[in-house]
Amino acid sequence: MRVEFQGELDALEAGFQDAGEIVLRSIRGVVDALRTQDVELCDEVIAFDDEVDERYHALEKQIELVLARQTPVAGDLRLVLALLHSGLHVERMGDQCVTIAKLTKLSSHLDTKQTVIESLVDMGERCEEMVKVSLDAFAQRDVERARGLHGLDELVDRANRQVFGEVLGYVNDPEALEWGMRQITVARCFERIGDNAVDIGEQTAFLVTGEFAEFTDASH
Amino acid sequence: MVSEDMTQMEAPRIDSGRIAEVSHGLDRSEVERREKVFSVSGLEVSYHGNVALDGVDLAVHKNTVTAFIGPSGCGKSTFIRCFNRMNDLVPGAKVSGTVLYHGEDLYARDVDAVEIRRRIGMVFQKPNPFPKSIYDNIAFGPRVLGMKGSMDERVENALRQAALWDEVKDRLKEGALGLSGGQQQRLCIARALAVNPDVILMDEPASALDPISTTRIEDLMHELKRDYTIVIVTHNMQQAARVADMTAFFSVLVDEDGGRRHGILVEYDSTRKIFTTPSDKRTEDYVTGRFG
Repeated sequence: MRVEFQGELDALEAGFQDAGEIVLRSIRGVVDALRTQDVELCDEVIAFDDEVDERYHALEKQIELVLARQTPVAGDLRLVLALLHSGLHVERMGDQCVTIAKLTKLSSHLDTKQTVIESLVDMGERCEEMVKVSLDAFAQRDVERARGLHGLDELVDRANRQVFGEVLGYVNDPEALEWGMRQITVARCFERIGDNAVDIGEQTAFLVTGEFAEFTDASH
Repeated sequence: MVSEDMTQMEAPRIDSGRIAEVSHGLDRSEVERREKVFSVSGLEVSYHGNVALDGVDLAVHKNTVTAFIGPSGCGKSTFIRCFNRMNDLVPGAKVSGTVLYHGEDLYARDVDAVEIRRRIGMVFQKPNPFPKSIYDNIAFGPRVLGMKGSMDERVENALRQAALWDEVKDRLKEGALGLSGGQQQRLCIARALAVNPDVILMDEPASALDPISTTRIEDLMHELKRDYTIVIVTHNMQQAARVADMTAFFSVLVDEDGGRRHGILVEYDSTRKIFTTPSDKRTEDYVTGRFG
């Protein structure tokens, strides 16, 4: 039944996973660029973002067509909606990577502080892991694994606070402070990537259970 | 997911009165708060001893649109015909179980089937106007029933309610068969409304119509449910999704031994639930087009 439609849904899902794989490469790129302070690698990450955007726009276009032609309902509708949201989260992650790459370039002429760099690399690696978990949990419809992202995100948030505390200590050193302020923004970008991975986890839970609920509600 | 930095902020105070509530169709609790027009329990319908529909329990509530969907042979048309005793007219048909109409047994011996069909009107798949003038089509029912009051007014009101008045007001004496299919169907709805019914049953009312006429009939259903209770059988699932507050999914049960088939009610819930998160796998398979 509806063989062609099922094929279209499978293609949408493959497109989303592909965009996810691409963004994982971007994250890996900025983590390496940070560790080695490699300006050329930063440029590559910035240029590579077109790949992420291209995949996201293709996914969005395909979803528009499926909605118009197939009017999916129930589980199919949830899949299409979850893919649309999750695709956007992936695209945002790509944008965060671009910001990190630009900031790394901008501060390359200043002295680096190894403790902060180590914290940022640690955050980046945790984010990479979170994105992998979010993509796998989505593919396997594994709600428990998706919920586990919340715990991983706490660690990223903690590292973000550490970077902030560290930079506060540079207040009497203008050059270190300038460098540190940029690193606070880098940490903030990783923190947002972690949030986006949790958001994909929430879409997985919606897809499986039919009910949307944030894993944590930060307004209370 | 809200950004972690924001967690340090004090929770905002929300004046809920300022945030408008947006509603898309009635939810189940809203529907169930309304008066029950029909309460069906343990319903079984058979033709010459062959069971066509079995074990149906559901309630239809006032001023709502209730849709019956399901594959061919699931008994949805058989079921809608139980609401105005149309099955009485089918030779060999037997209805058992209970159908209460405003709390009264619809199948009690002393019930006047003609009065029932006045209060519970029906519109069929194929428009079936009488070969008479537009005016006489509407006036026929009230005349037969000896209804009092101005007939012109009654005809105009019925045509206005059926959103047909502006198109036919200058040719009321012309033959109804000269109208388009969509107009003929709205004429049939007007004819049903002219005798002051309480319920309108519609059996595939738009399946023979073009998309624009279909949209008109669907818009009409939204209008009419303010004053009437509407029950509709449809093959078009998107139509049920668009017009109904509640949706019942019927399916066909095939006996293991003899291959006998009969209809059953699988799931009955708010349309929102049926088309977003149905509880039964069979409903999900049907609405997503993987079965039937």
